[in-house]
Amino acid sequence: MQPIGLLIEFKGGQIKPANFGMATAARAENRQLVALVVDTPANDAKAALEAYGVTRVVNIRTDSNGWNPAVHAAAVVAAMQENGITTLIGLTSPTGRELLPRVAARLDAPLVMDCIDIDLDAHRVKTSQYSGKTIATISMTGSHFIYGMRANVVAPEEAPAAAEVIDFPFAADQGSGFEVIETRTDGSGSQHLAESDIIISGGRGLKNAENFKLLFDCARHLNAAVGASRVAVDNGWVPYAMQVGQTGVKVNPKVYMAVGISGSIQHFAGMKTAKTVIAINTDAKAAIMANCDYFVVGDLFDILPALEKALASVKR
Amino acid sequence: MTKKYDAIIIGAGVIGAPIAYELSKMGYKTMSVDKLPDAGEGSTAGSCAIVRAHYSTEDGVAFAYEGFKYWLDWENYLDHVKDEKGLAKFMNTGSLLIKSQGHKWQNVKKHYDAVGVQYKELTNEEILEMIPVLDLHEFWPVKRPEDPAFWEDPTKMLEGGLFCPEGGYVNDPALSAHNIMRAAEAKGATFMFNAEVVNIRAAEGKVQGITLADGTEIDAPVVVNCAGPHSFKVNQMAPGVWEGCNIKTKALRHEVMYCPAPEDYDYLNKGYHQSDGDIGCYVRPEVGNMYLIGSEDPECDPQEWVDPDEFYAGKGGHGRDNQLSEEQWKAQCYRLGRRVPTLQVPNQPKGVVDLYDCSDDWIPVYDKSDLGGFYMAVGTSGNQYKNAPVVGRMMAELIDACEKGLDHDKEPFQYKMKYTGRTLDVGFFSRKREINYNSSFSVNG
Amino acid sequence: MNIYVCVKHVPDSAATITVEGDNAINEKITWLMNPYDEHALTEAARIKAAGKAVEIVAVCLGKPAAENTLRSAMAMGADRSILIETDQYHDSIITARALAAAIRKDGTPWIIFTGKESIDSEGMQTQFRLAQHLGLPVATNVIKINADSGGVTVECEREAGTIDVYRMAAPCVVGAGKGLNNPNYPTFPDIVRSRKKPVKRIDLAEQAIDRPAAGMQIRELVPAVEQRTPKALAGSAADIAAQIVDILKNEAKVI
Repeated sequence: MQPIGLLIEFKGGQIKPANFGMATAARAENRQLVALVVDTPANDAKAALEAYGVTRVVNIRTDSNGWNPAVHAAAVVAAMQENGITTLIGLTSPTGRELLPRVAARLDAPLVMDCIDIDLDAHRVKTSQYSGKTIATISMTGSHFIYGMRANVVAPEEAPAAAEVIDFPFAADQGSGFEVIETRTDGSGSQHLAESDIIISGGRGLKNAENFKLLFDCARHLNAAVGASRVAVDNGWVPYAMQVGQTGVKVNPKVYMAVGISGSIQHFAGMKTAKTVIAINTDAKAAIMANCDYFVVGDLFDILPALEKALASVKR
Repeated sequence: MTKKYDAIIIGAGVIGAPIAYELSKMGYKTMSVDKLPDAGEGSTAGSCAIVRAHYSTEDGVAFAYEGFKYWLDWENYLDHVKDEKGLAKFMNTGSLLIKSQGHKWQNVKKHYDAVGVQYKELTNEEILEMIPVLDLHEFWPVKRPEDPAFWEDPTKMLEGGLFCPEGGYVNDPALSAHNIMRAAEAKGATFMFNAEVVNIRAAEGKVQGITLADGTEIDAPVVVNCAGPHSFKVNQMAPGVWEGCNIKTKALRHEVMYCPAPEDYDYLNKGYHQSDGDIGCYVRPEVGNMYLIGSEDPECDPQEWVDPDEFYAGKGGHGRDNQLSEEQWKAQCYRLGRRVPTLQVPNQPKGVVDLYDCSDDWIPVYDKSDLGGFYMAVGTSGNQYKNAPVVGRMMAELIDACEKGLDHDKEPFQYKMKYTGRTLDVGFFSRKREINYNSSFSVNG
Repeated sequence: MNIYVCVKHVPDSAATITVEGDNAINEKITWLMNPYDEHALTEAARIKAAGKAVEIVAVCLGKPAAENTLRSAMAMGADRSILIETDQYHDSIITARALAAAIRKDGTPWIIFTGKESIDSEGMQTQFRLAQHLGLPVATNVIKINADSGGVTVECEREAGTIDVYRMAAPCVVGAGKGLNNPNYPTFPDIVRSRKKPVKRIDLAEQAIDRPAAGMQIRELVPAVEQRTPKALAGSAADIAAQIVDILKNEAKVI
């Protein structure tokens, strides 16, 4: 049995659902799924991981006292070596972007981020390049292989198994020259754009910062993330971290709602892989209207309040 | 089923729309067809929409000055029609012509005097008071950054400029064409979009009508070619028309750049339109406090003649397609950078690439043709946007006169301009003319 | 106390990318500096202007045409530059080795900047590999930096609303994010000055770098085709809202 390492991420004490898609993609008869859990009580996660075929949970405990990407990456490398893991899969998430390249650098191993298709036997993946204008098939050579999967590209399928939990304490080297001072949260990003199933983005049509409240009101009912086009960010209506597109975040949600966004090439680069695109725009000729699944020619200031009302009643 | 109209206008840009408007006002039942989804979406949308008076001929100056009056009186011109998209705005910034070896400004001044264009001669000091960011050294002749001479230090100063308080630009050229369409519709005109003309039908030396790509046939005794960069292709569809033109048109690729103005200079609200032959550029404000930098097509720059269909499909290849090229970005921005030394030039090109419908002598062809009932308003060469409302009136009167029996080739139609009161010999724009060597052979017209 | 800024020569994000052969693109398009590298240079120039660095050196692995990007880098404040020439595409495993070797040979780094990722290959890893080869600490998506002789304090935007503050001992590697600054683009006089600045060319083949056992090869490149057939939703605002809810519920199955 070849052990496959899965770098597990948590949010609010729960395993991020995208991890289960990752486990589903990695599963095969001749493979053993090993979940690597860093500085989170792994016993709580055991049952959820077992449901998706994980048979070993490595409970990595570091002395870093909270988030420390340098220490966490070193700990993951040590845990991989301890468990004979040469293949590691993680998410192309904020955490994955920090840890996976650090792991790959330490192991001098190939790494492809943002994979939309993975063949673990052939070490061959697909990922987008040139701002989503091309899909590259990349083959990797080496002794270790690190994969950063794009969230939600594989739908989770249950495959119950029983897992053992192994403790793995890790003490970081001193004098690495890297020290965490603090982590601040300002509460602006309650939903992670890159991993959200539903994203509602606003653009020029929103006209000002205050009107983004209309998007947040709808998003709240859907547990959706709110994004923005470059125009909205350039105008200072919302922070850059909300920008979807070429020079912003690339997203892959099930539903992408583009509200008052014309749909420049640069914006498409960030959301073109969304499953269903719904566009709301007063301009029937906006580029997005010709490259979406559903379009509404209409005034967002009429439609969003109506949508919020409809969503509120669905929830009830 | 064949539909019948009095006149078909091919193209709903800023030239085609006013012709439809004026013909409708005269009682013609018109049908405008355009291959794009809405009015003004073609090369009109890519126009810099400059409104300025300096042309190389007196008639050119008079024509442009007549055009001013339409832009200044836009709502009246449109007969107060409502457009759901709002009205285009004429931004009367004033217009500065730098006295340089790149322009025959002495002629322009003479023409201004003859026509009665308001202007003021400015010294360098007076220009700097108005526009403190400028460096008024002479950089002539215009060169490209690839040429080592481009980088040489200047030694001489310029000699001031001519400033017209009337002049500027229209903020949204596509919208202006849309406005005229709505005005025309209010007078009974019909517009059909996503309608590509594939054939011009004729019999016995008379035009019969057009055939669209989907097979639809539309008949009319009058067909007007206002197809912009596609004009030569449309002329070639009509029997004998292209062959009968001494002056031909073709499509010229043209790049316009957007470069942010220096941070401490409120160019958008306090800046002017400026024609600067010394560096081969013209500029006007654009939203986002940007300089819109157009090129006056200096001799050292390559001219890229392209197939308009390939160009718009992005198929022409580097320098021939609809993508900005880094070389030209640097050429135009660095030229302006010499004039405005605090201008910061981003690495990524930003701007518009579109086509000029260019005639052999850069003067338009406003004329009948060798095919009865077939007319053309073509070869606008990047310099006729400002004249479009006047062209609409003039073409409509020309068409009406010819349809009533005038032999325009023998006795050229005389057009009386409404505002300046001058009479223009429309034969000046004849397809049969010899190349006019008084022309600037550039966008300056 | 040199600042090194690693830059990459990439296709303009607005360029039309056409695939040639199995795994290459038509390169007759506009190429320019990777946009994140602009933030790195702007910050390097700011730090130097505060009197804290001796020299800013731009370093690039690329084809001969990449000199253009180094020229841009020097116009934006680099004092000189190094072009590690190659005529092939290289993955980040080789790139990091080449950059590390060039920097090590050139001088004593204080801060090494990179962009947080390149917009062409979008690998998001060269900065980490470079740091590993040089044995240095590294932070990515840096949006604020305070530098002193002992090191740097950086703020990194991990995700919307989450900022990590790290202290790194110098020398260190900093992956510049978009939030770091507004790029300070060159004026004409800056460009004139940059023309006299030197570009040192070294051949990748002559670099003393070990041949790694690991690698990433692009086997195939295909255009990403997007086929959607837009359907209109019409009616009153309430009708439209109901239709959207229906799509979310029954088609996308997200409610």
